[in-house]
Amino acid sequence: MSDLSQIGFLSIISLNAMVPVALAALGEIFAEKAGVVNIGLEGVMLVGAWFGIYATWLTFNPFVGIGMGFVLGAFFGLIHGYISVYLKGDQIISGVGINLFALGFVPFSIVAVWGVAGAFSSPVTFPLILTPWGQLSYWVPITFVVGVVLWYVLQKTRLGLNVRATGENPEAADAVGINVERLRLFATVFGSALAGLAGSYMSVDLNGAITKEIVAGRGFIALATVVFSGWNPLLGIVGALVFGFAQGGSIWISFNPAIRSAIPNVDFVLSMVPYIATLVVVTALGARSRVPKYVGIPYKRE
Amino acid sequence: MGEEGELIKTVNLTKVYPDGTVALKGVDFDVQKGEIHGLLGENGAGKTTLTKILSGILKPTAGEIHVRNEKVTMKRPQDGLALGIGMVHQHFALVRRFTAFENIVLGTKVNPAGRKADTTKKQIEDLSSRLGLKVPLDELVENLSLGVQQRVEIIKMLYRNVDLLILDEPTSSLTPTESDELFKTLKKLKNEGRGIIFITHKLREVMENCDRITVLRQGQVSGRTDAGQVDPRTLARMMVGRDVVLELSRPPFSPGDVILAVRELTVLNNSGEEVVEQVSLSVRRGEIFGIAGVEGNGQTELAEAISGVKPLAKGQISLAGNDISHASPNLVRRSGAALIPEDRRFMGLVTEMTVAENTILGKQREKQFRSGYFTIAWKKVNNFTNSLIARFGIVTQGPKSVVKSMSGGNQQKLVVSRELSSEPDFILASQPTRGLDVASTEYMRKLLLQLRGANKGVLLISSDLDEIFQLADTIGVMYEGKLIDVVSSEGLTRDKIGLLMGGVKE
Amino acid sequence: MRLSRVFTPAFLSSLTESVFAGAVGFVVGGLVLWVLGYNPLSTFYYLLQGSVGSPTNFSVTLNNAAPLILTAICFAIGLRAGLFNIGAEGQVYVGAAAAVAVAFFSLPVGLHLALSIIVAGAAGALWSLPAFLLKASRGVNEVISTIMLNWLGFYSILWVSLNWLVDPNRSEKTISVPATMRFPDLLGGAGISSAILFSVLIAFGYYGYLWLTPSGYELRAVGLNPDAARFGGIAPKKALLSAFALGGFASGIAGAIQVAGRGPPYAIYTTLGNVQNFGFNGIGVSLIGKNHPVAIILAGIFFGALQAGATNVQLYARVPYEIVQVIEGIIVVAIAAPDILKKIRGLGK
Repeated sequence: MSDLSQIGFLSIISLNAMVPVALAALGEIFAEKAGVVNIGLEGVMLVGAWFGIYATWLTFNPFVGIGMGFVLGAFFGLIHGYISVYLKGDQIISGVGINLFALGFVPFSIVAVWGVAGAFSSPVTFPLILTPWGQLSYWVPITFVVGVVLWYVLQKTRLGLNVRATGENPEAADAVGINVERLRLFATVFGSALAGLAGSYMSVDLNGAITKEIVAGRGFIALATVVFSGWNPLLGIVGALVFGFAQGGSIWISFNPAIRSAIPNVDFVLSMVPYIATLVVVTALGARSRVPKYVGIPYKRE
Repeated sequence: MGEEGELIKTVNLTKVYPDGTVALKGVDFDVQKGEIHGLLGENGAGKTTLTKILSGILKPTAGEIHVRNEKVTMKRPQDGLALGIGMVHQHFALVRRFTAFENIVLGTKVNPAGRKADTTKKQIEDLSSRLGLKVPLDELVENLSLGVQQRVEIIKMLYRNVDLLILDEPTSSLTPTESDELFKTLKKLKNEGRGIIFITHKLREVMENCDRITVLRQGQVSGRTDAGQVDPRTLARMMVGRDVVLELSRPPFSPGDVILAVRELTVLNNSGEEVVEQVSLSVRRGEIFGIAGVEGNGQTELAEAISGVKPLAKGQISLAGNDISHASPNLVRRSGAALIPEDRRFMGLVTEMTVAENTILGKQREKQFRSGYFTIAWKKVNNFTNSLIARFGIVTQGPKSVVKSMSGGNQQKLVVSRELSSEPDFILASQPTRGLDVASTEYMRKLLLQLRGANKGVLLISSDLDEIFQLADTIGVMYEGKLIDVVSSEGLTRDKIGLLMGGVKE
Repeated sequence: MRLSRVFTPAFLSSLTESVFAGAVGFVVGGLVLWVLGYNPLSTFYYLLQGSVGSPTNFSVTLNNAAPLILTAICFAIGLRAGLFNIGAEGQVYVGAAAAVAVAFFSLPVGLHLALSIIVAGAAGALWSLPAFLLKASRGVNEVISTIMLNWLGFYSILWVSLNWLVDPNRSEKTISVPATMRFPDLLGGAGISSAILFSVLIAFGYYGYLWLTPSGYELRAVGLNPDAARFGGIAPKKALLSAFALGGFASGIAGAIQVAGRGPPYAIYTTLGNVQNFGFNGIGVSLIGKNHPVAIILAGIFFGALQAGATNVQLYARVPYEIVQVIEGIIVVAIAAPDILKKIRGLGK
């Protein structure tokens, strides 16, 4: 392959890899701006991934499949939101529970529904855009659009103003008549829905199959992306791109025959690259000070 | 049957919190149009609870509320606003990262980034000039002084056509000059026919600026009067239920040697700006040196630097001859200091821990509490705690009860007893009576005078001017990080201090 | 100790919350089973039988509990210092590998086991150090750094197991640790490893550390109110270091227990299958045990029972054993909702 096509090839893989982290991070930015944190992103993505394949398998329609990921994510957002916002429960514990649940539910359901252990392939995959360098997912441009729209909503609309007020000073928002609880629940449901969508994208589009390791920490990488994007959706996409290129880069290197023969089990070694990249970026940027002031703290009026 | 011009009335209003505390009991209260009504009471008397109910933030447990002669039920703050009732809280309900304009239109149909924004801005500017409340609309609230922030809050209410404006301790963060401006504005609003409820625990303010006064004590109305017809003694008695000593006698001033010397102290904040600029002062034994000034002018950072909690950028601090410029809090204490922090719940105590555990905060490694080499002897700690409880009269169920359940006054006593137990020569007291009831306030002030009489040096930082006048021999005023003047308290007038607090040095 | 001092109202209400959360877990778990075509009742029956139905099964329960108690303590001690150390997963892998590495040496009985425990613990503690350093120097949130370390640990130990520690005769596992290095069984012959005793002792040790030593006091103070702690002259970073290191130490030992205390094969599977999920389940154990070292012992036994029953369930009820993980997750979510009983009672009014 020529150099240009190498770059093209690398870019395609990276852009496709960026999508799940970007979508989950965008959703979480929205939720955290309203003041709710969802550590269970990883679990929501995982269950979303499973549901995507399940729905595709039932209907033979990948559009329904990916859509169901969104719906399932919203469902979990409802649970997490209800516990965090209305019951004033501990958001971190709720998130951890969702992760544990998903870790069990996915392998369990793969066996329960299809009778196979470990992995199940989707009967149909999502259509892709054909480019000279490889197949690009439609969800790549869609993700960019989502990012821009989210930025616009947060900065330029009344809804966005209210959401930001709820996260910065819920008392002030309450005092002027904003329904803090309802807004926070909405933001949590929406954020979680995007995470579910990210998961079903991974299973129905990116990999074409479901395994219990499919998410492999991307939920937490999304959380890291939220932090180093300074809760700015546009920077969130940039952060996800960094991850995408780390992932894409390591896949690209793994194709190099010289490296394959030099290092045994080189795939394991290369798999570590995205995690190292995340650590490096988070360390370099340090702790951001623009965190929404009341994130993670339930609001009580009395 | 209501009266013409009655804005709001409560009948037999009662509020019991979920944990059983009775905050209000059978309160009858009313405000007329064109009236400034003072609501007086000490901390915990129920003033804030009453006004939170009147503005719709809290729901009453029993009783009725009538607005403009009609019975109403309010479920949320929005209902209050819809009825024309708005409250300006003591700690402003503003989103600090938004601009003033965004805060003012938050929750209304106006989008600050939208097309109608400019016309709305003009509307607001007209409103504020009419009332003399200038506010820079496009500035971030976090960059505005507390006085200007308060103006934003008031405009926020007036923009929503609030008729009944409730102000909770509005002068606590203002200089005397800013307070005067506020009262001028309130009089203008009153003359427009609006009603104003003015919550405070300061007798003088309420007598000088209000038309009628209602006094609350322990959740009940203990007195009602017209402002012109009452004297401070009577009001104080209504507030507290017994005769209050309003003036503490201070024995003659005979200072000893210098115990604390601060030279050209400079402290930076997290963004690298100077929040304390070249401050120099010295405190002598047998002296109370009072630092006056509105909060936020560097007093907190000054106290933190002396305590060793915050590093200093330049300068020197010495205690009894020892250089403590870079000492940790425990080293400062061992050099003979007692440090009473300005926020006992955040800095002075671990409220989730027990009384005994808090008593040894800072002392946990001392030999007197050890049993063997590795472990703490809790029995010894409990004995020590009991002795402090007895000596300072702390009301608590015992060393094992959790500090969170103690009253503010007793929590403060706990902090003070712990700090004084090491028999210090110097005491740094930051806002020592903030949030305390009258009895505890009296106790603290008497204690500081006692320490002065025992030839200790006291550095008192307080934004309560009355307290400074009562206790201090020497007064320094902090403004924007600088100690702009140091004067003897003899013959010093409120006006002169007021000017200094506002940055004006003659 | 008088009973009334143990069973305070606070203790009883915490206990009720945990029990209620457990009930929710089983009810919703039962629903999941039913929806996917399984019989919840027979599942629960086999779960019970597999965990406490016979002495052998009960010994499996206890053997399962041993490492879980330790990873739970890792999370709990972090929480006490105000931290979210979810790195136990990776620390277990590293500790297990370190223990296997010690197997390459031959040492006398007793000494061999002691050395492997210390090395495993040290390895776990070292694996938690990067998270501490990043937090202390750059304020990096430990949720993110410890998870990254988990995955780095996973892939590196996967590689190490296959390339350095692998059994030359059977490539699906590492070399087995020799008899001189294994945890002896407790008397009674029911197959209960002394590992559980060891874990319980460590749990009590951590309890003593937190409540009886000055350093443990400082850690608790920093976790409850770092500003007040600093004002009292306590250096928060020291407390954080203790929390990370002690937590990693416990998790590392959990890894050693899985290798030196469970067998056959007394080795790590090169898929890492027998050292996975202890970290995350440890978090669940800690939460149900309300982050108190002594309650964690009971919660650990509960989770150990669930996992012992899980294999039984798979065998006899033909239900995939991961159902237990599902139930555990639901229990943790239920614990997140406070005072839920009060709310339900309130609804009835």
